[in-house]
Amino acid sequence: MLSTTISVLIDATLLTFTLALASLGLAIIFGLIGVINMGHGAMLTLGAYFTWWTMEAGFPFAAAAIIAATCVAIIGLALEHFIIRHFYDKPFETLLITWGFFLVTTEVIKIAFGTDIHNIPNPLPGSFDLGVQQVPAYRMLLAIITLGLFLAIGFVFYRTTIGIKVRALTQNREMASLLGLDIGRTYKLVFVTGSFLAGLAGALICPMLSIDPYIGMVFLVRAFFVVIVGGIGQILGGTLIGSFLIGGSETLFALFSTQTFAQTVVFALAIIVLRFRPLGVLTSATRT
Amino acid sequence: MKFNKNRRTLLSRRTALKGIAATTGVAAATLAAPTIIRRASAAEPIRVGVISPLTGAWTVYGRAHASGFELAVDEINARGGVLGRPMEVVLGDSKTEPRIVVEQANRLIRQARVDFLAGTFSSAERQAGAPVATQANKILLYPTFYEGQEGEYYPGVCNKNIFMFGPEPTQQVWPFMEYMMNKFGKKFFLIGSDYVWPQVTNLVSKRKIDELGGEVVAEVYIPFNTPQYDSVLRDIRNSDADIIFHTLTGSDTVNFRQQFVAAGMNKNFTLWTVDDEEVVTSGLGPQASEGTYVSFDYFMSIDHPNNKTFLKSFHTKFGKDALMNTVGVAMYNAAHMAALAIEKTGEVSTDAIREGLEDLTFDKAPQGTVTMRKLDHQLVLPSFLMRVRKGWTSVNDMFEEIQSVTKAVPLDARCKYPLQ
Repeated sequence: MLSTTISVLIDATLLTFTLALASLGLAIIFGLIGVINMGHGAMLTLGAYFTWWTMEAGFPFAAAAIIAATCVAIIGLALEHFIIRHFYDKPFETLLITWGFFLVTTEVIKIAFGTDIHNIPNPLPGSFDLGVQQVPAYRMLLAIITLGLFLAIGFVFYRTTIGIKVRALTQNREMASLLGLDIGRTYKLVFVTGSFLAGLAGALICPMLSIDPYIGMVFLVRAFFVVIVGGIGQILGGTLIGSFLIGGSETLFALFSTQTFAQTVVFALAIIVLRFRPLGVLTSATRT
Repeated sequence: MKFNKNRRTLLSRRTALKGIAATTGVAAATLAAPTIIRRASAAEPIRVGVISPLTGAWTVYGRAHASGFELAVDEINARGGVLGRPMEVVLGDSKTEPRIVVEQANRLIRQARVDFLAGTFSSAERQAGAPVATQANKILLYPTFYEGQEGEYYPGVCNKNIFMFGPEPTQQVWPFMEYMMNKFGKKFFLIGSDYVWPQVTNLVSKRKIDELGGEVVAEVYIPFNTPQYDSVLRDIRNSDADIIFHTLTGSDTVNFRQQFVAAGMNKNFTLWTVDDEEVVTSGLGPQASEGTYVSFDYFMSIDHPNNKTFLKSFHTKFGKDALMNTVGVAMYNAAHMAALAIEKTGEVSTDAIREGLEDLTFDKAPQGTVTMRKLDHQLVLPSFLMRVRKGWTSVNDMFEEIQSVTKAVPLDARCKYPLQ
């Protein structure tokens, strides 16, 4: 019984961190500057494909992941500069634009890379023996990297001038602008950072998954649930709690029921949570 | 006066209907963007409507699916066609959606005026296309490994106009059950995607497991597009299963297997899949696939003179890196056997093709000799159990043969006879 409990906890932790990694880019773009980025899935997919492509060209995995994330950041920059920045105060339009971006990107990927399933070898084979169960080494690394990313973002957000600017912007845009903050540049910075993190997430997750044009789509809905359940704008704690509720809890339910039922219950639960905490678990209803 | 008035309304209504029909027709044709391959010839061609998943979720299988049929048609035309008439393929994209299959089947029958249909990929697609074919009284040649025929699913199965060229579970799974149990143990963990093919395949496989004194320790179905398998892997780890019997499909296969191998579980369990042919195994890569057992009626690596000839012409037409698989070969056999059937009866009608196909034997099939059984329209074919070779580099050295039967005779389909 104890070993099952520990084993479930390990699984839940790994799942939570993986989902948190996949949702982080969305949490930043959606949570901080309010762009409902339906293109998040495409950014994950691009990250995965660029990683696969760079590795085919002979680069090691770590370099490929960085290159892939950078390429996605550049695409994010172009998207922001040429289109998104003209629509910052129109959430519905940005939703359609980013959805269009998703559709176009998916088709372009099919044309450029074909529709075959690709894969890259596990960059860190082997596993750690934690007594009750073997934990794949790469999953451990992924959890550690995710934790590192969260700490780094926390540091930037709460301990640097850039962080102060971003927080000022999200709290009161007019006032921040009156105080001399360059709104356009800060928005751009946030959007590109979010794109970079989405690309990086795609790169880091793809060794565990099939690399096909829909790899990002699988995470898109889950990522939105994570951000909304966790609380929009709560990029650190919110994303982690959201990831646990959407990802980690699935493994708990699966203990007592079938996989299909567990996935259904999780989404139903998410809706119930939103009914009573419409602004997310971490955002109190009194805040406007 | 009254008569005239009525006549006018009638006329105008008819014109309006015509207008609507024309508009819909044009719209459908534009949307569907048909690819019509025409070959110059004086004789009126025999037209075949081929419905393949060229886009959408099952695109990975679509290319082999369509090219198998096209290759056979090329061969048929090269030797002078059928009854002196060339065969012509009219290709329709199913987009992997049953709804589109209905549109395409209608378009192919009514507009392209094909003589018969071949294709559709998943069982859901076949079930969608079958009523259209039945209503128009056209033959449908179905190529995919599938769950077998149960009377209650008529008209998708047990249909006198539908012929099955792919293996069903009593051909794909049963012949190797004894070997697997003797070698690896009697406890099975069944894992599959949550739809009809895995569920019925498991149901049929369980009968054989029971019969041989084995035991199913768990039976798990996974919703499509599940990215993470931690809890399933935990269940497998905690079960005392010997063999994981695997019917996951598409990208879920790859997701599951990558994580299964990453957790080091391939060392402790034997994995037997009835879904992962050349295309999916290529997608898995050597690391995630080696040591796995796979069973099908066809593999690119089977050692048969027919297969050598077949692969040579396949690679000449589609390039040396093109992938073939069980479904593509079934389409290839379907085209050749339809041509033989027409030649045998000397006529291109639905009744003649049906009569010609029944009890027809084709000894040039890439996997050996195959026979279309008259009783339930199920192809009797060879079946192979392969193991994925360690450190394979391409489809040519991907599988090593473990066991094979040259003639896997299925159980009689659970249909009302004679087929309706």
